[in-house]
Amino acid sequence: MPPFSKILIANRGEIAIRIIRACKELGIKTVAVYSDADKNALHVQQADEAVHIGAASPKESYLNVEVLIRAALASQADAIHPGYGFLSENASFAAAVESANLTFIGPSADSIRAMGDKAESKLRMKEAGVPTIPGYEGLESMDDFKQAAKELGYPVLIKAAAGGGGKGMRVVEEEADLTEAILGSRREALHAFGDDRLLIEKYIPDAHHIEFQVFGDKHGNLIHLFERECSVQRRHQKIIEETPSPLLTPELRKQMGEAAVKAAQAVGYYNAGTIEFIFDPQLSTFYFLEMNTRLQVEHPVTELTTGLDLVQWQIRVAAGERFPYSQEQLTQRGHAIECRVYAEDPANGFLPSTGKLLQYIEPRGPGIRVDSGVRAGDEVTHFYDPLLAKLIVYGESRELVIRKAQAALRDFIVHGVVTNIDFMQAVLAHPDFVSGRVSTRWVENTFDWKPPSAPSFESLVAAALADFTIVNRQSKIENRNEHDPYSPWKTLNGFRN
Amino acid sequence: MKLNFNNHTLELTPIGKSYRVAVGEKTALVEILRAENGRLDLLIDGKRIIAYISFDNTKRWVTINGQTSILTKSSDTRKSGGSHVHTAGELTAPMPGQIRAVHVREGDAVSKGQTLLILEAMKMEIRIQSPMDGVVKSLAVKQGQTVEREQTLITVE
Repeated sequence: MPPFSKILIANRGEIAIRIIRACKELGIKTVAVYSDADKNALHVQQADEAVHIGAASPKESYLNVEVLIRAALASQADAIHPGYGFLSENASFAAAVESANLTFIGPSADSIRAMGDKAESKLRMKEAGVPTIPGYEGLESMDDFKQAAKELGYPVLIKAAAGGGGKGMRVVEEEADLTEAILGSRREALHAFGDDRLLIEKYIPDAHHIEFQVFGDKHGNLIHLFERECSVQRRHQKIIEETPSPLLTPELRKQMGEAAVKAAQAVGYYNAGTIEFIFDPQLSTFYFLEMNTRLQVEHPVTELTTGLDLVQWQIRVAAGERFPYSQEQLTQRGHAIECRVYAEDPANGFLPSTGKLLQYIEPRGPGIRVDSGVRAGDEVTHFYDPLLAKLIVYGESRELVIRKAQAALRDFIVHGVVTNIDFMQAVLAHPDFVSGRVSTRWVENTFDWKPPSAPSFESLVAAALADFTIVNRQSKIENRNEHDPYSPWKTLNGFRN
Repeated sequence: MKLNFNNHTLELTPIGKSYRVAVGEKTALVEILRAENGRLDLLIDGKRIIAYISFDNTKRWVTINGQTSILTKSSDTRKSGGSHVHTAGELTAPMPGQIRAVHVREGDAVSKGQTLLILEAMKMEIRIQSPMDGVVKSLAVKQGQTVEREQTLITVE
C-alpha cells in the first residue's frame, strides 16, 4: 500500500520533478501546479495531472495558499509536498494544509514557527544547550555596545535584528570604528526594515558554513544524516556543496551531529530538516546559525553518501511510518559534490540571465546525477529562481570527485542563457578549494575570477566555419523536418556522411 | 572569405577539402570531420576539437572543452575586401561547390521559398531558394558547373 494515493506538489522546476520521481517510485499519483509562465514546463509534463494556479508572478500562483489548497482538494490529493522555497517554511501554509484535512509533507506548523523567528530560535537553542554565537541583543546606548564589544573581543559583527541579506551588517575591527559602524548600521536597518534595533556578535573570520541534515518520524525517532559543507557562497547563496566536509574530524562530527539532534528535538521536530552551523576553522568551534525546516536544495549529496532516498522518506514518515534506522546504523560512504548550475552571469555581479535555451545537454556517466527542471527550447524567465539544474557527482574520495565534477561540467552544454559553469570550473580548480580553505566570504573577498577577455582561437575558427557552412541568409531555406524555421542548422540536414 | 567576430577578422581559404583559417598572425589548417545539429567536429592543425555552436541572430554561442564564449558577428563589410553588396534577389554561392540541379529557367515565375537550385558543397546539399515572389531574371549557372564562393548563381526580381 502506498503511503498516500495522490500528492500535490506545490512547487516548480527541478525540485517538483525530484518529488514527482519519488512519488512514482512509491506508486503515488501526482498533481503538478503551474503558473502562466510554466504552462509547458517539464514538471507539468511529468505529473499525472496538472492544475493551473494563476499568473506568472509567484505571489499570484506558487505563493497563493488558498488556490493551492483548493487545487489539492479539487484533484482529490491527500497530501501536499511544498518542496523548498515558496511556501515551504510558511507556518500558516502548513497549518492551512492540515486544517483542510490534508497532510503537509514536512514538520509541524509549530516547529516551523519556532525556528522561523531568528531571535526566538537563538534563545531556544541557548536553553537547549546548543552553542550559539556569543553576542547581545536589545542594547541601546553607545556605552552598552562598547562594553559588549569589549567583552566579546574584537572583531565584532553588527547586524540588524529585523533583517537578513547582509543589510545593516558591518564588521568592526577595533573600538575606534565602533560608533560610526553602529550609526551607519542603524540608518541602513531603519531604511531597509523600518526597524533600527541592532545585534552585536563575535565576528568569526574565515567562517565556514557546515550544516547537518536531521530526520525524524512522528514517533519520536530523530537522527542526523551527517554534514554538508556549503561554504562556497556568493551573497549568502550557496553555489557548491559537498559531504563529508574536509574540515571535520570524527570527534567534531559526532559533537556537531549531537548538537543538531538536540536543536531539532528542542522544537519537537519531525520530517527532514537542516541545522546550519557557523564553523570557526581556527578554533574548531561551531555555533548554531539557523534551522531550515524543509528539504534542502543540496539534499542529493546526503542521499548519495548515505544511500537513503530523503524525499521518499519524507513522504513515508509524513504518512506515519516509522523511520527504521538508528544513528548507529547510519554511515557515510564515499564523497559527493553538488554544483548548482544557475542562469546568471558571474562576470556581471551574478545578475540573472534570461532567454531561450538554444542548446541544453547534460553530462552523463558513472557517479553523475543531474536534477534538472529544464530542457532545450525552454524559456528561462525572470519570474523564478535562476537555478537550471544541479550536477551531483559521487565517488570514492574527495580528490576523485573534484575531478569527476570538472569532467562533468566540461560536458554540460548550456546555450542561450549565461551560466556559472565556467565560474564553478575555476572554483573547483582553485588551490583554496582543493585544500578545503574556502570560507563563506571567499568568493567576495579572495576569489578574483574574470572570464577570458578574448575568445580562444579555436572558438573563432569554429564560429567562422559554422557560419561558412551555412547558406546565405537571403535564401531562407525551408525545411519540413525542423520546427524552427530560422534554425541555421536546417541547411545541414541534407548532410550525407 | 572574411568574417568578423568580436572584432577579430578571420580569413578562410579553401584548400582541397580543408580550409586555411587566419586570425591576425595565427593560421591553422582546419578540416570539418562531421557536422550535425548544433555541433561541429573539427580537425584544427591535426587536433580534434568538438565545438557546440548555437545561433542567436548575430550572436554565436560556442562551447569547446567546457569553455563557453559568446561571439558577436559583425556585419561590417568594409574589412571584407573583395565582397560586394548584393541586391536582394541576387543569390550567390555560400561556399565553393558544384551545382547538382537547376529547377527553373529564365523568365519563370517563382514563389518565395521555392527551391531554385541545389548546390553540393562539403558533403552537403544546399537548396538555394527564392527570397521572394518574382520572376527569374537571369540564370548564371548550369547543372554540373563548379562555382566559387560568392559567385552569382541566379537573380530573381
